[in-house]
Amino acid sequence: MEKFSSEYLRKLASDLKFSLSDEEVEALKKDFEAVEKQVELFETIDTEGVEPMVYPFETPTTFLREDVEDEVLSQEEALQNAPEVRMGHVHVPKVVK
Amino acid sequence: MKSLLTPKQSVEKITALQPVLNAAITIVEQPEENTNEGVLANVPVVLKDNVSTKGIRTTASSRILENYVPVYDATIVKKMKEQGAVMVAKASMDELGMGGTNRNALIGPAHNPWNPAHITGGSSGGSAALIAAGTTPLAIGTDTGDSIRKPAAYCGVIGVKPTYGRISRYGIVPYCSSLDTVGYFTTNIQDAAQALEVLAGRDDHDMTSSNLPVEHYLENLNGNLEGKKIAVFKTIVDRIIDPTLAKRFEQLVAQLKEQGAIVTEVEMDTKLLEMIAPVYKTISNAEATANHSNLDGLRFGMREDGASVDEVMTASRTAGFSSYVRARFLIGSYSLFEENQDRMFRKAQKIRRLIVESYAKLFEDADIVLAPAAVDTAPLIDESADLRFGQDRFENEHMQLANFSGYPSLTMPLCLAENGLPLGINITAKPFAEQTLFDAAYGLEQIIDWKEEPACLIK
Repeated sequence: MEKFSSEYLRKLASDLKFSLSDEEVEALKKDFEAVEKQVELFETIDTEGVEPMVYPFETPTTFLREDVEDEVLSQEEALQNAPEVRMGHVHVPKVVK
Repeated sequence: MKSLLTPKQSVEKITALQPVLNAAITIVEQPEENTNEGVLANVPVVLKDNVSTKGIRTTASSRILENYVPVYDATIVKKMKEQGAVMVAKASMDELGMGGTNRNALIGPAHNPWNPAHITGGSSGGSAALIAAGTTPLAIGTDTGDSIRKPAAYCGVIGVKPTYGRISRYGIVPYCSSLDTVGYFTTNIQDAAQALEVLAGRDDHDMTSSNLPVEHYLENLNGNLEGKKIAVFKTIVDRIIDPTLAKRFEQLVAQLKEQGAIVTEVEMDTKLLEMIAPVYKTISNAEATANHSNLDGLRFGMREDGASVDEVMTASRTAGFSSYVRARFLIGSYSLFEENQDRMFRKAQKIRRLIVESYAKLFEDADIVLAPAAVDTAPLIDESADLRFGQDRFENEHMQLANFSGYPSLTMPLCLAENGLPLGINITAKPFAEQTLFDAAYGLEQIIDWKEEPACLIK
């Protein structure tokens, strides 16, 4: 079985909540082969004992703030960009049927 | 900072150039009056369209956000307004910052002001084009993997990516959080120094912003190159393609020596340099797919109809993202799977550390590392493509070293190629040494004495 079958790629896309056309699936098969080649390239580099670099600098810039209400959006602002609003809520198709 | 144009004149000019450059996604037809006195008083400013602007549409060049109007200003917008600036346009960019050509934009490709058949570079291409065309003295961009400095080189302007964390990212549509940096374009180094004073500084809304004090970059600007330790990045210089650039670059190095600079040559292991592109793609795709999972058409942005929440999300995300961006999300997600994470994402992060350690060695005995920005001029729009996931040449990607490391880095114009397109140089300094960076750039600016103007300005 080919590793990156159409079904496999469509399942991946479905998990990310989008779909793919037939042409997109074919292009992705080539992309994924290229990605696996990159992994082969990665394997040529010895990273034994090397820590992953998550951010450029190690100096801490974070802190826990006091749990006080600071800046808030009004309900009107929070809903301003929602495509559909009913009774002060974002409206979506019925979830519980 | 002085502007040759009032905000209103700037809007008129951007509007007149739009059929040629296609560089603005939104033009602010009635710019807001700003009575604040400050160093940007009445200065028109262009923003990349991933910068949130209260009441002005912010699309990040993606269809999924084409109707999104933020209810708050990004911290940098607030800071500029406090200094008197007036926002005049939201510039085109590659969708969500993912690209290096400005071809994958919501409104189609941006065109290079020097020759509209060529790309501007990306992803901050619209900002670069509008600065080159003389519409404003300051344009904001973002730089995740040379997205300010490459377009600056292709468009013949100055592009600054400060140290990671130097400028707040609050209110910027993210792409890849461990690399994203806010920066800007100007036409001279004095403006570049002054702009950072306005934009930089700690912001508690952005926990990655630095606590280090902001310096008086303009007041302290000193272009004297005598005794400056400048390391020429030989591994990249050896790969210059354009013959004019090769010749002019060599001449520049001789001029630096005449000015009393201590010039050395530095090299990096090409095996590590060849890892830049795959490491960049692995990290950026993975972080991007996570960052953009909130774009679902439910609470904001463009929504497609569907019978269930699942269907709404799937339809919205399918129609909302281009094919290229969806492919990058898929690959990013794949590299984060439990069975792949160690060999892909974590491995890329480890190689990133090795690359940065090796890059840091170039600065052991140097104030500045000097390299060509791009090794050739801007490609034709029809001939350029964002390489999807194949191998790329490291000389085209070397400026991403400053993203991996977080070092401050700046591109400035050097000369025109025979085809009439600009070519630039790139200089980089140690973390938070922006003053050193501007000082060297100021000295270089006087040597280079750039006076060229693009065709769209001359007529």
